[in-house]
Amino acid sequence: MAEDFNWAIGGEAGDGIDSTGKIFAQALSRAGRHVFTSKDFASRIRGGYTAYKVRTSVDDIQSVVDRLDLLVALTQRTIDENLDELHEDSAIIYDGERSWEAEIPDEMYAVDVPLKSLAEEAGGAIMRNVVALGAACELADFPIENLDESLEKRFGDKGEKIVENNKEAARLGKQYVQDEYGTLSNDDFHFELETTDSDYVLLNGDEAIGMGAIAAGCRFYAGYPITPATDVMEYLKGRIEHFGGEVVQAEDELSAINMALGAARAGARSMTATSGPGIDLMTETFGLVATSETPLVIADVMRSGPSTGMPTKQEQGDLNMALYGGHGEIPRFVVAPTSIDECFWKTVEAFNLAEKYQVPVYLLADLSMAVTEQTFEPEAFDMDAVEIDRGKVVDEAEIEAWLDQEGRFTPHAVTDDGISPRAFPGTTDGAHMSTGLEHNELGRRTEDTNVRMEQVEKRQRKVETAKEREDWNVREYGNADADTLVVSWGSNEGALVEALDILEADGVDVRILSVPYIYPRPDLSEDVSEAEETIVVECNATGQFADLIEHDVLERVSRVNKYDGVRFKADELAADIKQQMEA
Amino acid sequence: MSSDVRFTDFKSDKQPTWCPGCGDFGTMNGMMKALAETGNSPDDTFLVAGIGCSGKIGTYMHSYALHGVHGRALPVGTGVKLANPDLEVMVAGGDGDGYSIGAGHFVHSVRRNVDMTYVVMDNRIYGLTKGQASPTSRSDFETSTTPEGPQQPPVNPLALAFASGASFIAQSFSSDALRHQEIIQKAIEHDGFGFVNVFSPCVTFNDVDTYDYFRDSLVDLAEEDHDPTDREAAKKKILEGDKEYMGVIWQDDESVSYEQTHGVDENMSEIPDGAPEDAMDLVREFY
Repeated sequence: MAEDFNWAIGGEAGDGIDSTGKIFAQALSRAGRHVFTSKDFASRIRGGYTAYKVRTSVDDIQSVVDRLDLLVALTQRTIDENLDELHEDSAIIYDGERSWEAEIPDEMYAVDVPLKSLAEEAGGAIMRNVVALGAACELADFPIENLDESLEKRFGDKGEKIVENNKEAARLGKQYVQDEYGTLSNDDFHFELETTDSDYVLLNGDEAIGMGAIAAGCRFYAGYPITPATDVMEYLKGRIEHFGGEVVQAEDELSAINMALGAARAGARSMTATSGPGIDLMTETFGLVATSETPLVIADVMRSGPSTGMPTKQEQGDLNMALYGGHGEIPRFVVAPTSIDECFWKTVEAFNLAEKYQVPVYLLADLSMAVTEQTFEPEAFDMDAVEIDRGKVVDEAEIEAWLDQEGRFTPHAVTDDGISPRAFPGTTDGAHMSTGLEHNELGRRTEDTNVRMEQVEKRQRKVETAKEREDWNVREYGNADADTLVVSWGSNEGALVEALDILEADGVDVRILSVPYIYPRPDLSEDVSEAEETIVVECNATGQFADLIEHDVLERVSRVNKYDGVRFKADELAADIKQQMEA
Repeated sequence: MSSDVRFTDFKSDKQPTWCPGCGDFGTMNGMMKALAETGNSPDDTFLVAGIGCSGKIGTYMHSYALHGVHGRALPVGTGVKLANPDLEVMVAGGDGDGYSIGAGHFVHSVRRNVDMTYVVMDNRIYGLTKGQASPTSRSDFETSTTPEGPQQPPVNPLALAFASGASFIAQSFSSDALRHQEIIQKAIEHDGFGFVNVFSPCVTFNDVDTYDYFRDSLVDLAEEDHDPTDREAAKKKILEGDKEYMGVIWQDDESVSYEQTHGVDENMSEIPDGAPEDAMDLVREFY
């Protein structure tokens, strides 16, 4: 594997950190390099510190590492926060003219660039971050022309002058480093970011979910802003309208899910997205969605709980909530994408599952993939491969088969596969009601014991049908014959796949199963029993998925849990797995 | 829409279990007649009902319908209407559903101004749970949970709607069949959120806000030379403490529905068999 390069910019919230980071990430992506970004909010101290990190390589990358090669530090704290990731060959770009005295460890390269002054020279102090980008291009031998394209994309709608000023700011930064630190940029700091002819797209998991929704024919989205799910709504707003859809910002999550439910009753493919606290509210209506057999996709982009928890931190703590949340018993499907491109495909699949089986589908994503950008070949999102299955929708010609003796439509007809006909409002002779009360085939309230049992069994039968008809597959990596089986779900997959390289280099053999389906889910009994040891990896404290595996296979498994709010990193995960194997 | 629809077509074959004499009978009859009179049919009407005695209306009427969770009928109606603006959407619920547990949705549905009709069957009592105070109960109204009366002022739903930027506010009385139907019809025809608070007496648990009380005290705006498009006049009537009115109190004649302002005009149930034709452009945006 070619050497990767790790760059970051850090400062105070409001310093334009995210936008600067994104410009650099896009420039790298456009230059045909793979990129994996992450956002860093202080783990030790709360406050204004924020950083945007970019890992890049000409090879495919899908994780973050504990190493920082080039840091643009707008504050001293940015340096302090990243000391454990910086190494003796790291370079730090800072502005010596600013009031703070930069304390940079002696062994590192301190690159003092008058960011503000040069920005002013180019047309305004606001461009100081772009000066730093130009300086970074020089240090890392990255052709600055690639940055130009990215600046055009970012500032194009602000007019040509702004774009030109920014390009100039970048060049002043580059020139300054060339003039003042020529030896460093040419010889000592050895990174050279080569470009390739590849064309990559760069997107995060929330965007992939939104794009998947549009591809799947979703036309209605109602939501309430919440970190880290807001990007889904922001992505859809302004785009879904071109396809005849609408985004509504509701007054709260109670309203959001009810709006989405209403749209689904009207026949639209409909969704909402939220995070833990929003799911708590939506749980009220969840049972109604399920018992009225309304197809709905509910994305839960998980963050640290409970309560307000750590809103900008990673956790996979909502699995039990998705599986069991709400009073009473009712089938629901739970799908958990394992990577950013899978956020797209699993969203498409979630809509098909929801309509085929007339169930609510939880799409469990997590913060780590939601706000992280990664490069992909555009073909990873091949729209021609998107299939739509609307399930048992009946039109006017077919409706007669589903009328009872009195000519009334039966939206909850008891069938062999458990799936009832669905008539969209406006369909002649299809008028019917549904309700959160237990109901008969007509959708009318009943407390008849036999009808109650029939309906409960019918709804449960849909799960059995789905188990038979769908391919509940797993994603497998590593050595299929290894004695050690590592099982994971959600966004840990990327770090796990990279940990595999580290383990293999150490002569450690493992088989990895990354599971995207929580319910229904693949039966791992054989895999677990064939393995000498099974280790379940997840970002929570109690091992919610490990509990499920144990329940399924009636055997104890080992656990690697991380609940500090930070995603797994490949090297750390490799060490954890090795330690578990030795225990 | 077929022109030969009769109001009885909106009646289901299920016999209501409302108490004999309940105001909800009259409220529902007026709704059915108004729907038929405005050219709607059961197959293109969607009724959303809340929880409470009033919520049973979805069972007794015949149309597409959803009987939802307590207090959230308005968001459901919003979703239905925006997903298929061709549907006639009517939302019905009680005073508890609309002004207590669902008060937040009421305020924002009023603001949003989606073209639908909201009928609140206001009996100033919780009937289904056998007689507790509601948000519109009088301050001294003694109930099992408020033996001394709630000792807090009742919500003024009309004022709440007005303060929330309503485009149509009306009040009616279930036993005045003709006026009630006429008022609901106006709400249906209004281009925006048509809100009608209907006094729908509970004969079992409310011995204060009775048929006789409303018959004696309600003032019909038709007899008052009231111009509902006159904002100041409407405000005055809505905030008057000692009189209650029947009729359309406020109607913004320049009301523009959410659908119009947001360009929502498609039946969203119709989608292609695969990804939309130019969906690959969405991917290219990420270059």
